[in-house]
Amino acid sequence: MVYYAVLFAAGFAGSFHCVGMCGGFACALGRDSRGHAASLLRHLLYNTGRLTTYCFLGALAGTLGQVICTPRGSTLSVLGGSLDAAQRILAILAGLMMIAVALQFFGVLRRFHHTRASFGLAMFAGSLRSLLAAPGRAAPLAFGVFNGFLPCPLVYAFAAEAAGGANALQGVLVMVTFGLGTFPAMLLMGSIGRLLAPTWRQRGVWLAGSLILLLGLITLGRGILPLTGHMAHGLSAGYPA
Amino acid sequence: MNGQGDPLCRHCWIPLGSRPISRPIGGEERAFCCYGCCIAFQVKHGQSEEWEAAWLLIRLGVGGFLSMNIMLFSLLLYAGAFTGGDARVLPWVQLLLWIFATPAVAILGGPYLREALIDARRGCLTSSTLIAVGVGAAYGYSAVAVLERSPHVYFDTATMVLMLFTLGRYLEAAGRAKAARNLEPLLAAENAWANTVVAGTEIRRPVREVDAGMLVRVRPGERIVVDGVVVEGESHTDEAVMTGESRKITKAVGSPVIAGSINLDGPLLIRSNGPGPTTRWAQICRSVRETLGRRSPVQRVADHLVGAFVPLVLALGILTVLYWAQELAFDRALLVGLSVLVVACPCAVGLAAPLATSIGIGRLARWGCLVRDPGALEVLARTQRLAFDKTGTLTSGTTQVVAIESAGAAREEVLARAAGLERYSEHALAGAITKAAASLGVEPVLTHDVRVIAGRGIRGRADEQVVAAGSAALMRELIWTLPQALASRAQSLERSGYAVVYVGWGREVRAILALDDAPDPDARSTVEQLGRRGLRVMLLTGDLEQAAQRLAGAVGITDIQAGLSPEAKREVLGRHRSEVVAMVGDGLNDGPVLAAADVGIAVGSGTDLARETAALVLPPGGLWMLPFVIDMARSVRKTILGNLIWAFGYNLVALILAVFGLLQPVLAAAVMAGSSLLVVANSLRLERLPDPARVPMAAQPLSAPRDVAGPVGVGTVTAAG
Repeated sequence: MVYYAVLFAAGFAGSFHCVGMCGGFACALGRDSRGHAASLLRHLLYNTGRLTTYCFLGALAGTLGQVICTPRGSTLSVLGGSLDAAQRILAILAGLMMIAVALQFFGVLRRFHHTRASFGLAMFAGSLRSLLAAPGRAAPLAFGVFNGFLPCPLVYAFAAEAAGGANALQGVLVMVTFGLGTFPAMLLMGSIGRLLAPTWRQRGVWLAGSLILLLGLITLGRGILPLTGHMAHGLSAGYPA
Repeated sequence: MNGQGDPLCRHCWIPLGSRPISRPIGGEERAFCCYGCCIAFQVKHGQSEEWEAAWLLIRLGVGGFLSMNIMLFSLLLYAGAFTGGDARVLPWVQLLLWIFATPAVAILGGPYLREALIDARRGCLTSSTLIAVGVGAAYGYSAVAVLERSPHVYFDTATMVLMLFTLGRYLEAAGRAKAARNLEPLLAAENAWANTVVAGTEIRRPVREVDAGMLVRVRPGERIVVDGVVVEGESHTDEAVMTGESRKITKAVGSPVIAGSINLDGPLLIRSNGPGPTTRWAQICRSVRETLGRRSPVQRVADHLVGAFVPLVLALGILTVLYWAQELAFDRALLVGLSVLVVACPCAVGLAAPLATSIGIGRLARWGCLVRDPGALEVLARTQRLAFDKTGTLTSGTTQVVAIESAGAAREEVLARAAGLERYSEHALAGAITKAAASLGVEPVLTHDVRVIAGRGIRGRADEQVVAAGSAALMRELIWTLPQALASRAQSLERSGYAVVYVGWGREVRAILALDDAPDPDARSTVEQLGRRGLRVMLLTGDLEQAAQRLAGAVGITDIQAGLSPEAKREVLGRHRSEVVAMVGDGLNDGPVLAAADVGIAVGSGTDLARETAALVLPPGGLWMLPFVIDMARSVRKTILGNLIWAFGYNLVALILAVFGLLQPVLAAAVMAGSSLLVVANSLRLERLPDPARVPMAAQPLSAPRDVAGPVGVGTVTAAG
């Protein structure tokens, strides 16, 4: 459970980083004129859409990891029979990815998502705003779904973690926990409707960076250290088999 | 194919093809070549208040929400999350999937089904048919499976195939719009609006309703939409679209402006010269539109193949299902059949040629080069021989003093006296003489009592002496003595095609000036670069042999045929039928010859574009771009062939894999979307071809040593006084 608590905390702290972009969207989503309940529903739908995308990415990443690490089955195994080696390599890659994101949060590494796919994506992101003003229940949901796909280092980091687990269900759980972690801040954004003070945001970013660094190191450790497999599992008592 | 060409897609400017989609957007009926372009256009141009655009995104978003949930649970199913003790929940999970899948299939599959039905009513089968049949089968089977409590459902396959296809089409359309970026300023002419000023008030009206004499206001940053004259305001303009050269040109009251140029920094009020649709910009717009609407020969072949392909694939899909149903469970066989249908969608093939061609045309258009026939690029790429016309093509069309022959007098004195007279004349040769004097820094001698003798020359008085410049006839009239050496020299010069001006003072002819049409300053480097590209270059001219020899020597052409009538030029082209021959001319006098060549290229044609016979028109002074045009044509052809080989090869390999049951349907859909994207990406590489580089070789009159193959030396004193 400690493992998922750390994930949740990282999601929570990390969402202060997202407040700049996604928080802006949440604010722009605004309130429903039909009262508080309708406003809450609107924001819950938006966040559900976002969470669905995260879960999907988690399932995809987890399945990918599982496919790579499963020696038999319908799909061909990339790394042959050595289950252990494949899982280790995957864990090392995922860990490195998370550490890179963490360092980026600390400002040590330059942002590496500058070369974002200009291919239709920028155009798409810009036009998403048209959804914010659209009436109906479906618009916030659709908006949340697209929002989840917008390039975000935090999501990359947790998708890497999900892949590192090499299990579809665990991948989903990682992303669910992370996604739920981002709920409070985003809902708060929607209801309070104003941005947090920059100093607090900075603290949030540092906390998130530290937690992601920790998770990254643990994941990396799972891959590198010969005997830490048990240690890592000890920490993450909630791992499904 | 019809000569007028297809109308173009509003989003990517590629021909609509036989089955366009039409949607009312922004109060206007707009046509698109495909569903992807329809989405992308609305995403790009839809305003937030526009319900249609938002509705489309909502549909995609909700479809995505549903299909991602389906995929999520299906992945967990495949990963074995609901086995063992959890097996009891399996029917409920399947039911949940069904509940999710029904609206998802309706939302995402609706457009494909509609397309397929419309096509079916017209009696044809397209890729939409393949998708609709395949997805419908997968959904229908799964629904029955849920009711019968059989263990396998394929709702995920049905929705993911739809989702991936929609995504692929959207990305493809976005890429295509990127390709059309260069064409936008040219195609803007037809739908342009002008702010006309009538009695002090501004009225916005379509540019086609603008007539001569109307006042048009153009704000900074806007495009000037009419040819006209500035009547108020000062600014700079950029005429890159029309001339190919991007630089600031100062405009003040009285300056002419051309339609298509951009007003950079100040408001301008312009009086229109003529009706809006007659501007060169509008003509170019119509020409480009027609070109894009025509299919190149390669594309026509590809389209025929695709047309024959779809029914075959449908039959193959059914056969595959029947075959595999004997060996596997029916649901597995159905999946194999679905893979076959999905993977055979020939989207990329239909895209291969038009995309590369339109990027090529757009890149060339940015430099003011106009392609009037899409097939021309393909032929130009295969061209082995280039025939040049002389006057106005390899020559600059302006006369220069190329030699001064004197009988003792210094050339500075000759020029000073001649220029002193000629600056009062407006004759074409007079300008060349004063320019030559100025370029050598010679001050014209003060001359008075100047009189122009029509058709013969000019005379006046300087330093108490009569000075005259003009023809031999003028000198004979004046009864001035002409040294024998000068006389024979003048005769031989005239025989070789030079214009000769006699200059004399003190009752004696002192010198003769030889004038000639100067070679284009870029001609030599252009011919050199063409040679480096493996092209054989020849000169076909109606001029005298010696004049042609001289020019050929100056620009580096060895294969010369002079003294040809237009018919004779066509005969020469006919003798080279074994090769692909392009003819380069000025488009004025050699129209029929340009039309007779495999590709006609006109340089700086001033004629009406509608009557232009050349397939390719370079801007005035644009000879230097010819190597770039050849490079571009070759790259376009290479890209088209690469795209076609890729698209067909990829389809074929994937189809074989699918028939043998080695490709999952979802993977097949991803593969197909990837194939289209690769074709788009490969075509977009044309954007990276380096821009043309001008290698200036300025030929300066008189001062620079000239590499002229002729007996004329500058300033040689050949005769004694």
